[in-house]
Amino acid sequence: MELQLEAVTKNYKNKQVLKGISLTMSAGVYGLLGPNGAGKTTLIRILADVLRPTNGCVLYDGKDIHSVGDEYRAKIGYLPQDVSFYGNFTGRDYLEYSAALKGMEKACAKKRIEELARSVGLWDDLKRKCAAYSGGMQRRLGIAQALLDDPEILILDEPTSGLDPYERIKFRNIISAYAKERLVLLSTHIVSDVEHIAAQIMMMENGSIQHIHTGGEYVQIMEGRVWLAEMPAEQLVEYQNQAVLSNVRAKNDCMEVRIIADTKPVPGAVQAIPTLEDAYLYLFNYLPGKAGR
Amino acid sequence: MSLFRFELRKLLLNKKTLILLLCLFALYSVVGLTSTMFLIGGNDSYRAYEELAADWEGPFDSEKAAEAEKIYQEVSARYGTDARMISRSVKDQPEIILAVNYHAYAERVAEYWNGTPSESAEEPYGIALLQGKIAELESQGKQDSFDYRELSASMKRLKDLGEPEFANALLWENLFNNWGEHMMQFLLFVPLTFVIAPVFSVERSSGMDNLILSSRNGRRKIVTAKLLSVLAASTVVVALYLAATFLFGFLPHGSFHGWDAAIQSIPTYARSMFPWKVWQLAASGAAWLIFTGMVYSLIICFISSRMKSQMGTAGVSLAILFVNVGLAAMGDTMTQRLGMLVDFGLANVTLMKEVFGGYKGFNVFGTYVSYPVMAVFVLAAIAATAAFGAYLGQKSRAVV
Repeated sequence: MELQLEAVTKNYKNKQVLKGISLTMSAGVYGLLGPNGAGKTTLIRILADVLRPTNGCVLYDGKDIHSVGDEYRAKIGYLPQDVSFYGNFTGRDYLEYSAALKGMEKACAKKRIEELARSVGLWDDLKRKCAAYSGGMQRRLGIAQALLDDPEILILDEPTSGLDPYERIKFRNIISAYAKERLVLLSTHIVSDVEHIAAQIMMMENGSIQHIHTGGEYVQIMEGRVWLAEMPAEQLVEYQNQAVLSNVRAKNDCMEVRIIADTKPVPGAVQAIPTLEDAYLYLFNYLPGKAGR
Repeated sequence: MSLFRFELRKLLLNKKTLILLLCLFALYSVVGLTSTMFLIGGNDSYRAYEELAADWEGPFDSEKAAEAEKIYQEVSARYGTDARMISRSVKDQPEIILAVNYHAYAERVAEYWNGTPSESAEEPYGIALLQGKIAELESQGKQDSFDYRELSASMKRLKDLGEPEFANALLWENLFNNWGEHMMQFLLFVPLTFVIAPVFSVERSSGMDNLILSSRNGRRKIVTAKLLSVLAASTVVVALYLAATFLFGFLPHGSFHGWDAAIQSIPTYARSMFPWKVWQLAASGAAWLIFTGMVYSLIICFISSRMKSQMGTAGVSLAILFVNVGLAAMGDTMTQRLGMLVDFGLANVTLMKEVFGGYKGFNVFGTYVSYPVMAVFVLAAIAATAAFGAYLGQKSRAVV
């Protein structure tokens, strides 16, 4: 199974949101990282076939997904950024409706709904109206919906927003267990979501994919570029406007600062073990002025 | 898993819509009740009318006509010539109502034989008038013309139907007024618009488009399910109107008298080409309203598939309905100018009196096709186009 993007472009009026993205994905977990407005959701929507590219095409096993149509959509599970519900539907109704949309047999759907509801911790709440669910519960319901017919391609847009740390870990475990011989694309701006489970991590900015590496490769890129330094709070106020900082922590009577820099940034700075988050900040050159965009 | 079941639930079987339907049933019941109460005084008056009319029912009687004419002249001097107005003014005097109705019947008999001076060239009526026109065409050697065939067919139908008979179908007449006047379009089609409008646009406003459009059945089967649910919802709303106006139209007087009379005994249907009994017209009228309700609902469905909001859908649908009603209300001048647009506009085509009450026909490649048959074809074509448009719309729909 292979999903291929060929020079995919998307314009909204005069604004080019996607700039000729070409990419090939096969089985495995892919993380899509990028700041807000990078074009992640647009790309995800095109892959989920709910949006048509202005130019270029998406090929599934060599065939344009528009010509494949229903057959392609039968293979995908999609969790949109904003999960929506009908006010009068219960959790069970929502999942049964999703199963009907996916063309599942009644008996099979019933069994799968039970399995997934237990798996995402919603079994006791299935009879409640979706509108009464908390944000995290709605998200978990959305995840169950996406997994319902055991799709070959799973497309998740910001799947963990609104989930608490335990739920987030649980979600990661579900996806890791699920990903065998399937393609999972996980779009997020929460680095830790993809750090542990994604085989390939794509970093996207301004409508194009700037980097594709494994988590280990990103960390390798950062070798020698992450520093720990201590400085007084007064100095930090001025310093933080000139450097990329990945963390600041109060320590005794001064501040411990994690600095991303190619060379030793301040006297006394020592090298630290890099993380994917450091790479994200480094590659997108997250200076404070830029972060405010 | 049935998508239809869910679509029906979203459209109809939910708390809000069920409350709306309950309110509509109450409203329609009041409409049925008040219309029948205004028709004639209390139950005693109706009983008296029924007893008096029993002696007058049957073929035309010139003596009774003369008697009725005398009473009518006296009454019209006081209340004017409008039969409905007179009936309302003297609703506790059944003998006067009967005389006024018999007078109107006598005029219809005269029309049957002679036609009327202001007869429309498009819809000629009356034995003598038709004979005259047929003879004129024969003298011109136009026996092969469409006009000749149309007039001959009309003549044959008129002769087959025979001279109208007088019958007491007062309550049925009231029912058909409720089912076939412009007021019905407001009472029935306006609420129907709000019931159907969300069918597609709700997916945009609720954000469910994402889930639907990315799923296997989200581009085609869901449209089928939505169309079927629209047809079912429309049938329920129309059936509610029909049932409430029927039930509460007859309930106060507890009588179905006149159910087996010829429909030509009802003034509005005096020129009908159908050799039907009143009950057959009631059944056909109900079926017609259900059918036209479905077609209108499919039009709304198509609009909904193209709009982002329910209110936008309702607004455009109502605008179409009101423009049609407005055009139809402008009378013959507009009908002549816009022809088919008015004839087959929603305002005319949804009224059973327009469809079943006249003789109108059309020349389709030289063949005479009656208005009801044409109406069925035109409405079926509109419905098919709307359904096809909804499929196309969903196929190319994208999340924005």
